[in-house]
Amino acid sequence: MTTVDRPQTELELELCGKLADVAGAFVTIAVPDDGCSIAELFALVGQRHPTLAGLTGNGRVRACVNEAVVAPEARVMPGDEVALFPPVSGG
Amino acid sequence: MSIEVTLATQAFDPAKLLGTLTRELAGEGAVVSFTGHARDRAKDGALVDALVLESYRGVTLASMKEIAADAMARFDVTRCRVVHRAGRIAPGEAIVFVATVSAHRRAAFEAADYLMDRLKTEAVFWKREEGPLGRRWIEPRESDHEDARRWHL
Repeated sequence: MTTVDRPQTELELELCGKLADVAGAFVTIAVPDDGCSIAELFALVGQRHPTLAGLTGNGRVRACVNEAVVAPEARVMPGDEVALFPPVSGG
Repeated sequence: MSIEVTLATQAFDPAKLLGTLTRELAGEGAVVSFTGHARDRAKDGALVDALVLESYRGVTLASMKEIAADAMARFDVTRCRVVHRAGRIAPGEAIVFVATVSAHRRAAFEAADYLMDRLKTEAVFWKREEGPLGRRWIEPRESDHEDARRWHL
């Protein structure tokens, strides 16, 4: 089953840094009720918000779930607190 | 042995921080500090009105603490002090302050250098310059990543 065939729930994503300039501070994405991988989430973001597709598809954006940066294989569930991080830069 | 890490939302005084550290020395012979200040011009010479650093909830402070803990574990230092601003920073104001204390100078120099290399490339901030021509996001340069790789991370 692909992500679109499964029952879905809206998930709000916070966009950080330059991503917010592209699509606003928050975007809402429909994710399967039983969750999806971060890689699938990025694909869904790109479909729903084509202006973000180039940024989320280049491997440089990372996902933060419940205040922890996670790998592309990690799962995200409805109700999770999710943010997308472009490359960071302190100092 | 102590680590103190602060995410500052207001301007801070690096000289005062350094003064506190030196007053509190417990027999160590070396204190090294570095302060990074906001420039009034971008790399291409364009005027900069302000540097804006965005952070994200508890993740930003956690990233700073992890870097400081790694420095303490890696080098023979007794104290690490890290302060990093977030928010809108005027040219001339301090962005970041790191200070390290050790018995002899080498460990303190290296730990401060290491702290800055990792803060530049791994601390969870997003940085943009704002000026008359608009806003521009700043990401680490390749030279910043090269600096960080010196520590075989």
